[in-house]
Amino acid sequence: MGVLSILIFLPLVFGIIILLMPKSTSAYFKYLAVVVSLAQLIIASWLYYQFKTGVSFAGVNNLAQYQWVEKLDWIRLDVGSFGVLQIDYLLGVDGFSIGLIWLSALVMLIAVLSSWEIKTNLKGYFALFLLLDTAIIGVFCSLDLFLFYIFYELMLLPLYFLIGMWGGVRREYAAIKFFLYTLFGSIFMLLVIAGLYLSVTDPTTGNHTFNMVYAMDPANYSAGSIFSRLANAQILGFSARYVGFIIVFIAFAIKVPVFPFHTWLPDAHVEAPTPISIILAGILLKVGGYGIIRIAFGIFPDVAASLSWWVGLLGVISIIYGAMNALAQRDLKRLIAYSSVSHMGFVLLGIASLTAEGLNGAMMQMISHGFLSVMLFFIVGVIYNRVHDRDIYNFRGLANQMPKFTGFVMIAFFASLGLPGFSAFIAEAFTLIGAFSSQAINGLLPRWMAMVAAFGILLGSAYLLWTLQRMFFGTLRLKKEEWKAQLKDLNWREIITLTPLAALALILGVMPSLAFNVMSSSVNQFLMLFK
Amino acid sequence: MEQIFTSNQLFNIAILAITAPFLAFIFSLIFKKLAAAFGIISIGISLISSIILFLHLWKKHTLHYSFQWINIGNVKIDVGILLNDLSVIMLLLITLIALLVHIYSVEYIRNDKLKYRYFAYLSLFCFAMVCVVMADNLFILYAFWELVGFSSYLLIGFWFTKEKAVQANKKAMIMNRIGDIGFLIGIMIMVSQFHTLDIDTLFGSGSLIDSSFVKNGLWVSPFATMPEYWLSIAGFCFFSGAIAKSAQFPLHTWLPDAMEGPTAVSSLIHAATMVAAGVFLLLRISPLFNDVVLVSIATIGLFTAFMAATIALTQNDIKKVLAFSTISQLGFMVLAVGVQDNAAAIFHLITHAFFKCLLFLGAGIVIHQLHHIKEKHSLDFDEQNMDNMGGLRKLMPVTGMVFFIAAMALSGLPFTSGYLSKDAILVSVFEWADLRGGIYWLFPLMISITSWLTTFYIFRVVYKVFFGDFRLPKIFNKAKEELHIHDPNLWMTIPVIVLAVFCFGVFFAYNPLNLDSSWVYHGFNLQQHNEGLFHLMVPLYINVMSLALIFLAHLIYAKQKIAINFQATWFYKLSYNQWYFNSFYDVFLMRIVLWKAKYFYWFDRKIIDGTVHLSSDIILKFSKIANWLDRNIIDGLVNGVAFLVGRLGIWLRGMQSGKLQHYFIWMLLLFLTFMIFKIVI
Repeated sequence: MGVLSILIFLPLVFGIIILLMPKSTSAYFKYLAVVVSLAQLIIASWLYYQFKTGVSFAGVNNLAQYQWVEKLDWIRLDVGSFGVLQIDYLLGVDGFSIGLIWLSALVMLIAVLSSWEIKTNLKGYFALFLLLDTAIIGVFCSLDLFLFYIFYELMLLPLYFLIGMWGGVRREYAAIKFFLYTLFGSIFMLLVIAGLYLSVTDPTTGNHTFNMVYAMDPANYSAGSIFSRLANAQILGFSARYVGFIIVFIAFAIKVPVFPFHTWLPDAHVEAPTPISIILAGILLKVGGYGIIRIAFGIFPDVAASLSWWVGLLGVISIIYGAMNALAQRDLKRLIAYSSVSHMGFVLLGIASLTAEGLNGAMMQMISHGFLSVMLFFIVGVIYNRVHDRDIYNFRGLANQMPKFTGFVMIAFFASLGLPGFSAFIAEAFTLIGAFSSQAINGLLPRWMAMVAAFGILLGSAYLLWTLQRMFFGTLRLKKEEWKAQLKDLNWREIITLTPLAALALILGVMPSLAFNVMSSSVNQFLMLFK
Repeated sequence: MEQIFTSNQLFNIAILAITAPFLAFIFSLIFKKLAAAFGIISIGISLISSIILFLHLWKKHTLHYSFQWINIGNVKIDVGILLNDLSVIMLLLITLIALLVHIYSVEYIRNDKLKYRYFAYLSLFCFAMVCVVMADNLFILYAFWELVGFSSYLLIGFWFTKEKAVQANKKAMIMNRIGDIGFLIGIMIMVSQFHTLDIDTLFGSGSLIDSSFVKNGLWVSPFATMPEYWLSIAGFCFFSGAIAKSAQFPLHTWLPDAMEGPTAVSSLIHAATMVAAGVFLLLRISPLFNDVVLVSIATIGLFTAFMAATIALTQNDIKKVLAFSTISQLGFMVLAVGVQDNAAAIFHLITHAFFKCLLFLGAGIVIHQLHHIKEKHSLDFDEQNMDNMGGLRKLMPVTGMVFFIAAMALSGLPFTSGYLSKDAILVSVFEWADLRGGIYWLFPLMISITSWLTTFYIFRVVYKVFFGDFRLPKIFNKAKEELHIHDPNLWMTIPVIVLAVFCFGVFFAYNPLNLDSSWVYHGFNLQQHNEGLFHLMVPLYINVMSLALIFLAHLIYAKQKIAINFQATWFYKLSYNQWYFNSFYDVFLMRIVLWKAKYFYWFDRKIIDGTVHLSSDIILKFSKIANWLDRNIIDGLVNGVAFLVGRLGIWLRGMQSGKLQHYFIWMLLLFLTFMIFKIVI
């Protein structure tokens, strides 16, 4: 059993153990969850540390260059004239996934630490939570489309219950909306995956395969198959590869979320309990970005290049649109949810530029947004837990009341609005540089896109600075008198949670090569797909 | 002077100048009691380092060290330091003034509970500012440029419970961000066109800018080609960064509001150093600008200088006058860049830093002392309003003296530093207009008027504050002796005296009446001004008129022999309301953006989410129809069959009557039927 399998199934095992433990021990579940996610983070850190970089470990479309590869024959079913149904248990890591795996492990730990607020039905909560953990790591590790899809769908189930049972007032509405939205995208994606299976053959065994690495190589497509580049097959009068790309893109665009598929996000975020908001913003959105890079763009590079103008446009619209919406909010959590839409727009823009700068910037933005959105949602949680209110207009002058908290809020806000020295600045600057140079390098994106996107940064500072001024500065004024006693400054657990996030945003901002080194050769290899 | 240190040692000294304030920032937050000491010692170390660097590098050679930082794709971004003449003199200026302001602040902020934060932020600012002038590439320059803005944000909002202060720092940050977006786009253009951001490679001797050219409507560099207009766009983008930082029209309104911060901060950041960073940026990248951009720069500079000077005429808040004066003087520098006399721009930047810093510190002393009176006697008045001052020359002679010297320097009277640098700008503007002719003569005309306005408004302040009678006792009906006001202690007086000394021209030229003998000016401009008519006449006619205006101001504000009543006129209102820019921005831009935001949110809820809900409604409707069909048609069929079977069963059950005769008849009938079928078939 390889290290990736341990990483994936460790939480599942402990989830089952929690299910078997008697209810009287429920006070210890959270400590058990902390231990599991801490162990997971240690393993992930070890992987990150051991990860070999360089051209010969680029991965992407070369299975031999992936690291910690685990391959087991999982399902071999002789289906007569169709040959052998081949589904592999195939795991592996390259520069695109290692950063996200580490991020996931970190975010899960933070989420556990913020689960202290959960008071009801702890057994169910932590069992589902750990199941979710397994699914998330599984998504980033699997290289077999079928396996990927299983993990991908497996994420939905626990999330549905976690939002629907432990959420806010309109939790059922939000949970169903989230579930149906995502399912809508992924069901059609299943058809494309089936189509890919029928098109791609394993060069070693000759069977059809779900292997996504093989699917990136045009030579593995059997002649005349539906997604073969040469066959130019049609679906309902449209080129099959176009249809395939668009379906997969929409499936992941819903996850990112990209305008106009984003409306599940504000509702889900607002209704979800803090730890689930953290997971949603910190990792779930990145699954979308990761899927767009590896599956939509990786498997359909020819279509992706010809449609990248539209992808870039969606990115720019998301940036501006998300920021404008955030400006109109008075619910702090909703404001941050919309800011996520805006920030994830940069990811899309960077990917669409198909330049090394843009893609590195997009990956960096995913990791950086991972830290920062987690921090922001945690901050909302701190206030909400204390007074069960998060209307911006109900608070004023918290700086004197909660000085430590205000310090962290300032770090999180300024890092999010792209202050140099923090990771978001590097990420956004490189995304924009990539988008701008795209015209000169490959002629895909017009220059105005980068210029318009830059104004998203301006709007970002507008809503964050306004919130900061409105809620934290000035003289203390609260909606209710008793809040003054309830709004205590951060406790130790909260400080321990926030400090590493702030530190990581700072470290990556000062030494971005820590992340760039790991991914740059994979990015270069990835760009070769488009040559 | 001999070379005492090797290049490597000089590099280490430069690093020392950077790290000292940074460590002070960290330690001030940890060891709160020692914050002031850390601040002063660290900036002292920076000053000593700067002096060493200056003596070794000024007019001798350039120090350029860089280390690889990020290297992906076409972009290589290094971190490094570039010390040429421009940076070493800026370094010296910044550290010297920062040290004086630190010392002054010890007294100024003495009674504040959070003063460790004040010194920490001040150290952070010094660190960032030193890095701005040393940065060797545009990316790093941008990064520290933003960090300078951030530390300014922290310091403007230092009294964060003051509503006005936190509104002001938000405004400053957002307006600066508008400019910074331009800066960032400029960086994107440069990367795309030249694949590097290294200032020396781009703009130094034999640079990439020199090797690029415009041909057939295309801007061609060794790496890439763009349409020609991108050259102008690049220039405008960088300029917009400078507009915001140096508070030029139309992004100038943040600076007067920033006066809500502590006065010492205003003097260091919003008068002497940070706001000059915009001009510094323009100087760093000046080879980039083409003619269109240069004329625009000159126009913006001229307009800003004029507009701000007219506003300064009528303000009653002493800090507001000085703020608009700063905006106006920065306009002079920007104008100088626009007419391509970079030497004059940097020269004025340096002289202005001293006298404007001094004016602020002087005003700060007055405000500080009045504040003491206010607290001691628990009176309620605005300690910044000049109507509450007057006659302070006798009560606080040192302050009055240094303020007077600074005012003379600002007016550009002979023997002061301002005389030399302003002269340089004016002469250049005249020569530039002479060369171009026509409408361009508006430039020298307007700048002369602005120069006279400057003299008038600053002497208005001098006479209102330091001459005449002390008005405060009259307002509150108290005896003069009761509201005692006096010069402050040495923490405050020594810095202002040092600054006052630097307001004299001899420090900048051995013959303080002749620009050509200035070492600073000729450090950057090797060719002599042609000994033309302008060179002789311009200083003469400007100063004669200035002296007349000073006399007029004396009569109006000190002697109060002439009463002026402009209050009702439109130009007074225009000036007093700062040309209505704030109202315009508030009403139009802010409201429009917020209204748009609301509209976007409505769109999101109603249209986008509405579509989602609509489709779910449609699906629900469909499911209802399907349900009906299912119940009535499909299930109807099923039920119908069941019903039929049931009826059949009932009917058949009817046959089980238990009577033998019935069974016999049925059997007979079946047998007959069978036989008939058999026969027929």
